[in-house]
Amino acid sequence: MLGEKIEVIRIGAEAVVSRLEWNGLKMVSKHRVPKPYRFPELDKWVRDRRTLHEARVIMSLRRLGIPCPAILMLDRSEATLYLQLIEGVELKRILDSLPAEELERLAYELGRIIGRMHAGGVAHGDLTTSNIMLDKSRNIYLIDFGLSAITDDPEELAVDIHLLDRSLESVHHKVRASFMRSFLRGYAAAAGMSFLQKLVEKVKEIRSRGRYVEERRKRH
Amino acid sequence: MTTSSRDEKLVLGIESTAHTFGVGIASSAGRILANVNYVYAPKAGGIHPREAAQHHGRVAARALKETFEKAGVRPKDIDGVAFSMGPGMGPCLRVGATVARAIALKLGKPLIGVNHSVAHIEIGRLMTGCRDPVILYVAGGNTMIAGYIDGRYRVFGETLDIAAGNCLDVFGIKAGIGPMPAPEEYARRGEKFHPLPYRVKGMDVSFSGLLTAALKLIGSIKLEDLCLSITETVYSMLTETLERALAYTEKKEILLVGGLARSRRLREMIEEMARLHGARVYCAPPEYAGDNGAMIAWTGVLQLIAGQTLSIEESRVKPRFRMDEAEARWRELGL
Repeated sequence: MLGEKIEVIRIGAEAVVSRLEWNGLKMVSKHRVPKPYRFPELDKWVRDRRTLHEARVIMSLRRLGIPCPAILMLDRSEATLYLQLIEGVELKRILDSLPAEELERLAYELGRIIGRMHAGGVAHGDLTTSNIMLDKSRNIYLIDFGLSAITDDPEELAVDIHLLDRSLESVHHKVRASFMRSFLRGYAAAAGMSFLQKLVEKVKEIRSRGRYVEERRKRH
Repeated sequence: MTTSSRDEKLVLGIESTAHTFGVGIASSAGRILANVNYVYAPKAGGIHPREAAQHHGRVAARALKETFEKAGVRPKDIDGVAFSMGPGMGPCLRVGATVARAIALKLGKPLIGVNHSVAHIEIGRLMTGCRDPVILYVAGGNTMIAGYIDGRYRVFGETLDIAAGNCLDVFGIKAGIGPMPAPEEYARRGEKFHPLPYRVKGMDVSFSGLLTAALKLIGSIKLEDLCLSITETVYSMLTETLERALAYTEKKEILLVGGLARSRRLREMIEEMARLHGARVYCAPPEYAGDNGAMIAWTGVLQLIAGQTLSIEESRVKPRFRMDEAEARWRELGL
């Protein structure tokens, strides 16, 4: 373990995220913890591959200009990524208390970011309001690319929009309509109207299948 | 002769989704009065739907007669007739549905269409006493992770291609050792692990690439090692997706149902994972883990109490009947 551990911020199903400091540099570590139930060699291989995958996605995002934490270091022997600490809050925490104008600005900006990311062939895979961070100047950062995919499959891209909408519907239902309106405007501005329309059709299809519905909502 | 009070409802259940033609009788007191199952075993290869259906037609009358004899009840004592409506093979489903309709009409009792996957869960809950589990349903034809939320059993994750049991069965047959549990028995003598495709997408899994890769390795590495590698990979994928579902739903119980729930190694792995989350693992007893008539009868009892019955017109089978299309109103009643 590098540096002094300050505090654990998140414990997910596969990784533990901690905040730490090294020579005065604040950062977070994302450690994919060993699973005792998995055969040791398989466990090592899975954790290594996923850590590499996440690092690779973050590098693709950097090239696309998508705001996300910078990679500081990658420790393959520990399946740990060291990332820039984003000092701020999860969108989820403040969304309901934002003034209407600010809400629309953020939604539009998020739409532009996601549109650019999708047009560049990356799906986040778990786009909920708890995986969107705002720094002190209210700049947006995307975090947690554990389930992301480098893909141009409209289905996988549409799942992002669907999950975002669902997470709004479940915990922020009062602002959902205006948020999504601005989000889609921003998205169209970045990815183009025809690209957006294709995905909106897919979103309807996913929704009608009733899949990814109740289950993911439970995370909030 | 059983001594049942007049308040105790009895339901006849008929299972015929795939290789099993099963008949059972369950009571609203949670008793299984009979569970008679005839399994069609093809001489070679997989199940041919038409041949399985012919088998079911041949054994139906005998299975019914034995069921009533074992239960010690007369047909007219029955309060409802349940059948598995799907998912399953069309020709097989239609045999069970036809028998059920005939009996329901003859006796003038309500007809109850049961979702086969839900029935696996409900018999598991009855037999183990768990209340609100995350369910891993693994069998030759099914692989899914589910749980009850807001009136229905929801599918959290499932296979995107072939079922886990199917993957291991096909591998065993092609490797010349036969279907499960043979691959698991060979795996116990394996020593060296070879990486195979490990495909987990969120809470979904995919096994077809893994199967293809394993089949290609037959003959070039020790069979015991290959069995170890394929079983460990399949079970780890299942355990990991189950772990995600457990973390997401924050439920504290795990229920294992379906034929593959009999696997010792899979259970061991899941128990180890459950300990990390302070969750308890429950397994349907072997007699009720695979397809059987009693599970349809018991789910029929629950549906009868909740008022979920069908008219003959509504009783067409649904080969692609998804678990989340079926209402589970009895759960709202606290059953």
